[in-house]
Amino acid sequence: MKILVTVKQVAFLDDEFEMRDDDRGVDEDFLEKDLNEFDHYSVEEALLIKEAAGDDAEVVVVTVGDEDADDALRTALAKGADRGIRVWDDALAEADGVAIAKVLAKVVEREKPDMVFTGAQSADFGSAVTGMALAGLLGWPHAAVVCNLEYSAGANTATLRRELEGGLEEVMSVRCPAVLSIQLGINEPRYASLRGIKQAKQKPVDELSLDDLDLDSVGSASRVRRMYAPEKGQAELIAGSAAEQAKRLAEIIKELRGM
Amino acid sequence: MASKRPAKYDILFEPIKIGPKTMRNRFHQSPHCIGAGTDKPGFQMAHRAVKAEGGWGAINTEYCSIHPESDDTMRVSARIWDAGDVRNLRAMTDAVHAYDCLAGVELWYGGGHAPNMETRQTPRGPSQYASEFETLTYCHEMDHDDIKQVQQFYVDAAIRSRDAGFDMINIYGGHAYGPLQWLNAYYNRRTDKYGGSVENRGRFWVETLEKVKNAVGNDCAIASRFAIDTLYGPSGVEVEEDGVKLIAMADDLVDVWDINVGDIAQWGEDAGPSRFYRQGHQIPWQRFVKQHSKKPVLGVGRFTDAEKMAEVIRNGELDIISCARPSISDPFMPQKIEEGRIEDIRTCIGCNVCISRWEIGGPPMICTQNATAGEEYRRGWHPEKFEKAKSDDTMLVVGAGPAGSEAARILMERGYVTHLVDSAEKIGGHLNDITSLPGLGEWGYHRDYREVQLDKLAKKNRDSQLSLGSKKLTADDVLSYGAEKVIIATGSSWNTDGVNCLTHDPVPGIDASRPDQATPEQIFRGEKKIGKRVVILNADTYFMGPSLAEMLSAQGHEVTVISGVDFGHYMHFTLEYPNLRRRLIEMNINIIGESWASRVEEGRIEHYDIWAEGSKREYRGPGKMPRNENTSHKWLEFDTLVLVTGRHSDDALFRELKERKDEWAKNDIKGIYIIGDAWAPKLMADATFDGHRIAREIEEDDPQSPLPYKREVSVWGNAYLPDGEYKQEWKA
Repeated sequence: MKILVTVKQVAFLDDEFEMRDDDRGVDEDFLEKDLNEFDHYSVEEALLIKEAAGDDAEVVVVTVGDEDADDALRTALAKGADRGIRVWDDALAEADGVAIAKVLAKVVEREKPDMVFTGAQSADFGSAVTGMALAGLLGWPHAAVVCNLEYSAGANTATLRRELEGGLEEVMSVRCPAVLSIQLGINEPRYASLRGIKQAKQKPVDELSLDDLDLDSVGSASRVRRMYAPEKGQAELIAGSAAEQAKRLAEIIKELRGM
Repeated sequence: MASKRPAKYDILFEPIKIGPKTMRNRFHQSPHCIGAGTDKPGFQMAHRAVKAEGGWGAINTEYCSIHPESDDTMRVSARIWDAGDVRNLRAMTDAVHAYDCLAGVELWYGGGHAPNMETRQTPRGPSQYASEFETLTYCHEMDHDDIKQVQQFYVDAAIRSRDAGFDMINIYGGHAYGPLQWLNAYYNRRTDKYGGSVENRGRFWVETLEKVKNAVGNDCAIASRFAIDTLYGPSGVEVEEDGVKLIAMADDLVDVWDINVGDIAQWGEDAGPSRFYRQGHQIPWQRFVKQHSKKPVLGVGRFTDAEKMAEVIRNGELDIISCARPSISDPFMPQKIEEGRIEDIRTCIGCNVCISRWEIGGPPMICTQNATAGEEYRRGWHPEKFEKAKSDDTMLVVGAGPAGSEAARILMERGYVTHLVDSAEKIGGHLNDITSLPGLGEWGYHRDYREVQLDKLAKKNRDSQLSLGSKKLTADDVLSYGAEKVIIATGSSWNTDGVNCLTHDPVPGIDASRPDQATPEQIFRGEKKIGKRVVILNADTYFMGPSLAEMLSAQGHEVTVISGVDFGHYMHFTLEYPNLRRRLIEMNINIIGESWASRVEEGRIEHYDIWAEGSKREYRGPGKMPRNENTSHKWLEFDTLVLVTGRHSDDALFRELKERKDEWAKNDIKGIYIIGDAWAPKLMADATFDGHRIAREIEEDDPQSPLPYKREVSVWGNAYLPDGEYKQEWKA
């Protein structure tokens, strides 16, 4: 029995940052990277199922990314995932969610898991596309934003709850294998122990290229044209006596009205 | 590294001329005690030099006695009585000068407040009075010969100070010392030319400054510390009366004014604890001086925020920011501001535990925030530099309170892969409760500093981890965790059965599982409904009882305290006591002192006077008390009984791991240690020290036991003075 969990190394902005010269992204020097927060929950959900099955199950984590993304895999491996797969090709540098899903679909065909978990979305781009596009490409049953799951390793169906707008929840059954995108709060993700971190360094990580997956290219369905920080409003703290404050306020009003 | 500081802080880095000297920036380390004095020259030198390295423009000694007639034993002052003192203080001035920093000395004549318990001399003052600060101390009223002689003490001490390498000589008229006693009609009842009018009362000060300036004014900058308002209205010095008048009279004789407020008996009005005073709390008085003086003005006020510092200079309230406590908490504060590293500043929490050691009289200063304070020389600790890890051992720290978070911080600074695990979502341990008590919000800086640093360090080393909100680790979890070394920092809890420092026994009927009894933790967690009539049973000597009394009273409860110990005793030493006492009176909190409880029943407690068992002592045979039976017992009703009777270590995890020592090796564990309150309940400063210390010494054979430190003792048989006088010998 095998659960495949897709994970992503996401980027966080420093307090201050600069854009790339082509204005289509943030300069790498100003990004910190870490495992996508949602993926902590999807990995945990897989590990809980594995542990309930008496460890008679394999959890495989897969990511699409360059060498930096190994950290994301090692984080998941340190928690207890069994092995990792990292797919990379320079042609994937600007891949969108649909293109990533095409790659992942090939990995799924190759691995033939009984269940696929993704995070509900990525913390940096937040498109929430990859998981559902993957299900579409595979033609598998799917459910997005899963906040509760009853599933035992190898079962034919899973019962789950999905989070809807306005605090509603929907109860569903799905045939397995299925693709489920996992919502925050579905469980309490564990921390890796030092033993886990040490063992993760010894766990296998397959590095695959597009060739290995019999893919020539993966056309993205979209392209980022420009990225920018919208201008912020201004605030000024006016200090002093009531008269001084009134004077400054009048100045600001005149200034804004161009008087 | 290029300076990244915001331009708004530039004003703090403008050099300023002070008489014949130039200070390179506006950061002045105010004279403050550390417990080194002159007899521990290594301590004195290293503590001050670390700050000079950290960017302060001027560094002072603590108060420095000018003559054996001004001896503050048990408290530790510096002394500049003879050539031996000059030699010992020279170590400090040389070390400070290495960093382009001025060295200052604060010349102290205690007058009627100097108990002279070591020298057995008789202090002299403007009039004869009994000190309101020091027990059993009167001074002798000076005649004109005495005045000349004492003024010459100042001159001689100033010359020795110059020879010791000091750049700034401060004539100390703060805290009701020295010339302030002459200016202050509270002490000065004379009718000659030194008493009466402000011109007469200021005469001693002006003459002393003149004589000192004539002696050393070409070589040294002359400063004078002046408590510009003694805060007791017209019966003392008021800023807009005697205060600014003295400034006008003496302005030509000083190169810089050092301005504060208050006296010595309640000097917490100057060194204001954060419980009562925010930064800059003296500005409403200090700001007058610049309006009456042509000279630079400096002053303290526990300035911790660069924004505020720049503001008071821009506003023309002060020219130079003077800090004592913030310089102890972060000796590198100026450098961090200069480099724009505001988030790295280890902000003073204003707990005054540094001051408490001086007040106790004797022990070296400690700091809650900065565990290296006072350890610079004797343990060789630097606040910003850490020895690289000596092995690849990985570390597990269980508990992220003051001790555990400090241990993890230092281990990670040293480069050890470290996991800090806590069941709470936030670093800080019990501090997260304490900061919710009245006036103790700023204590949270202790947690905040470590939180910021640990986050940064964990990002630098990806294998390190802050496991907050984690499940509580069991002994099995720890054994299988995969760490070579484990530090247990699981803290302590308040007793649930009434065990206390008086009887060392539980109190019958005390049981915190009952709905009408509550420990402090149960109150913080909101577990217990608190009734109208609250009784606090207290046997703790620090802040928890008083803080809960204040908090519950503010919430509308009628609070009575039964205390077996002096309520808030340690707060005398932290200078919090006077205003705490005022607060308790304002809030109608009833204190039944010197009493303990014999039993508790539903809704009532029986208490007794601990001294009511008869003064006569006699042997009455085995099984019989040597004194009469205590018959002072009375019942008091309550709706809620709050139990501040004592603490105990939460050390069950450590003890189980110790019992399973035979399993350590097969789990690749080299050692498991215990620190902080889990080792034994203690001051937060000492818990922080524990964490810091074990992280510095983690690769020693027995990290649980501290390494010996360098002791500064005079060695028998050596000459005391440099030229061989006063050889240490004894002839009967």
